[in-house]
Amino acid sequence: MATRKDIAIVGYGETPTVLRSGRSSYDLAAEALEAVLRHTGVDKNVIDGVCFAETMSETANPFWGVYLCEQLGLEPSWMQVNGLGGASTIGGVARAAAAIRDGLCETVLVLSADAQSSWPPTEQGAQRFEFQYPVGLNGPPGVFGLITQRYRHQYDLRDEALAKLAVTQRRHALMNPNGTEKLRKPLTEDQYLASPYVSEPLRTLDSVMVCDGANAMLVTSTENARRLGLRRWVHPIGYGEAVNHKGTDPLADITESGFTVAAPKAFRQAELTPGDIASVHLYDDFLIALILTLEQTGFCDVGEGSKFVMETDLSYRGTLPLNTSGGQISAGQPGLAGGGVNAVEALRQLFGEAGERQIADVRNAMVTGIGMIPYGKNWGVSNVLILEQP
Amino acid sequence: MTQQNAPKNRPRPFPRLNHYTDTQPFWDATKEHRLLIQYCRETGRPQWFPRSASLATGRRDLEWREVSGRGTVYSFTIARKPWPGHEDRVPYICALVELEEGVRMLANLVRVEPGDVRIGAPVRVAWETLSDGDSTVEYPVFEPV
Repeated sequence: MATRKDIAIVGYGETPTVLRSGRSSYDLAAEALEAVLRHTGVDKNVIDGVCFAETMSETANPFWGVYLCEQLGLEPSWMQVNGLGGASTIGGVARAAAAIRDGLCETVLVLSADAQSSWPPTEQGAQRFEFQYPVGLNGPPGVFGLITQRYRHQYDLRDEALAKLAVTQRRHALMNPNGTEKLRKPLTEDQYLASPYVSEPLRTLDSVMVCDGANAMLVTSTENARRLGLRRWVHPIGYGEAVNHKGTDPLADITESGFTVAAPKAFRQAELTPGDIASVHLYDDFLIALILTLEQTGFCDVGEGSKFVMETDLSYRGTLPLNTSGGQISAGQPGLAGGGVNAVEALRQLFGEAGERQIADVRNAMVTGIGMIPYGKNWGVSNVLILEQP
Repeated sequence: MTQQNAPKNRPRPFPRLNHYTDTQPFWDATKEHRLLIQYCRETGRPQWFPRSASLATGRRDLEWREVSGRGTVYSFTIARKPWPGHEDRVPYICALVELEEGVRMLANLVRVEPGDVRIGAPVRVAWETLSDGDSTVEYPVFEPV
C-alpha cells in the first residue's frame, strides 16, 4: 500500500475545558466516552482496546488505567497507559494502530482525561530535590524562559510574531464553545506585549492556563469501520516520535527539539512534505514552542520562524490554518489531556464539523505533541501525526 | 532593589542529599568549596547532573573529578514569579552555566543585576550557605569574573 490507509479514526469527542471544575478525571472521561459514542453511533461493546493518557490528577494510582476501565464499564483485551505528557494522545493513536495491525484488538478507545486544576500537584522527584528546587527555576515557564533567551541569542525572535500568534489563536478561541470561559475575550497585540513576565523573557500570555477536561477518539481498521457500517473516517498515515532527544549530549543546543527527527519520519511514512499540509494543529504549551515546531517540522528554515509567522496567514481562512480552536494557550490546557485538544480539532476540521471556524481545505492535517519539561535542555518528548482524508 | 514580595508560605527548598543516586562525594567536596562532576572512566566524558550510569556507555563505571568552576552563561531567565519557597528572592536569576569542562549546570547567578546579565559572559563558581534549621549545605552559585 502506497499510503497507510488501513487504519481509520472513526470519531471523536470532547468535554468543555473548564478551570477548576471540581470534577475528577473519571467523571470527565465518562463525558468524553459518551461524546465519542454519540459521534460514531457505535455500541460501547465494540471497544476491545484502550489507550489512555497518564494524568497529573490520578498519577499517584499506578492502576489508573484498570480503574478507568472499571469506571467506564470496559472489558478490553488490550490496554496501554502512555506517560508521554502532552504527547500521549497522538502517541496513543500510533500505538492503537500498531496493536490493531498486530491483531491484539480491533477497536481502540484513545482517551485522555485530566483534572489538573482541581487536584493537588504531583511530584516528579529524581534530581529535582537536589539540583533544581533549591535553585528555584519556576517549572515549565522557567525552562521555556531559558529556551526563549537562548533562541533570541542565536536567531531573530520578534515580539510581533509572538503577539500575532497570541492574537490569531485568541480569535479562534472566541469561536470555540468548548474553550475555557476565563479566556473567551478578545486580545490585542498590545495587551500581549504588556502582559507581565513570569520567567523573563517569558510572559504570562506566552503560557497555557491549566484547566480540567477530557477528549476521546475511536481507532479501528478501515475494514472494520466498513463492517460497522460507518461512513466517515480519517486515516493516520504518518507518525514519528523522539524521546530524550540528544539527552546524552551534555552540550546539545537547547533550542533543538526531537521534531528534527520525528517530523522527517512522519513525512516519509505519509509520503508528503510540509508544503503538502493543509492545516497545522501544533502542541502549544508556550508560544515559543510554535515557532520552534514550525521550523523543526520543516515549514521554514531554522531561525526563520518569526519571519514565517509574519508572512503567513495562520487564521482559519488563511493559507496555513493554525490551532483553529484556539489551541491550549487560548482555549485552556486540560492537564495532560491537553495533547488531545488540537488533535480533536484536526479531526473536527477533517470531518467538516467545525462550524463557523471550518477551514476550506481539509485534505490533510498535521498534529504535534510535546511532553515533559526536563533539567536544562529541550523538552522530553516530541511527536508528529499526519492525518489524511480517505 | 526595593520590592514588595509575596509572603513566604514555606521555607526555601533545602537539597535532599543522596536522594536518587550516590552524590555524597559531591556534597563532601562542597564543604571545602570544591566543585566535582561525574566522568565516565572509559570514555572520559563528563556529565551533569549526576546519574547512576554513564550516558556514553550505559555502564556504572563513573568517577568524580574536581573541575575549575569557570564557565560562561549559556542561557538565563529572570524569575519574576517564584517557585514555592523562593518568594523573598524575587527577582532572581536562574542560569545554565556552561563549564569549561563541557557540561551545563543550572544555578543562580549572584552579585549581578538582572539587567546586566549577558549570554557568553564569563562566570566562576561561588558558594551559598543553605540551612534547613538543623544543618547547612554549601550550594554552588555563579558570579561574574
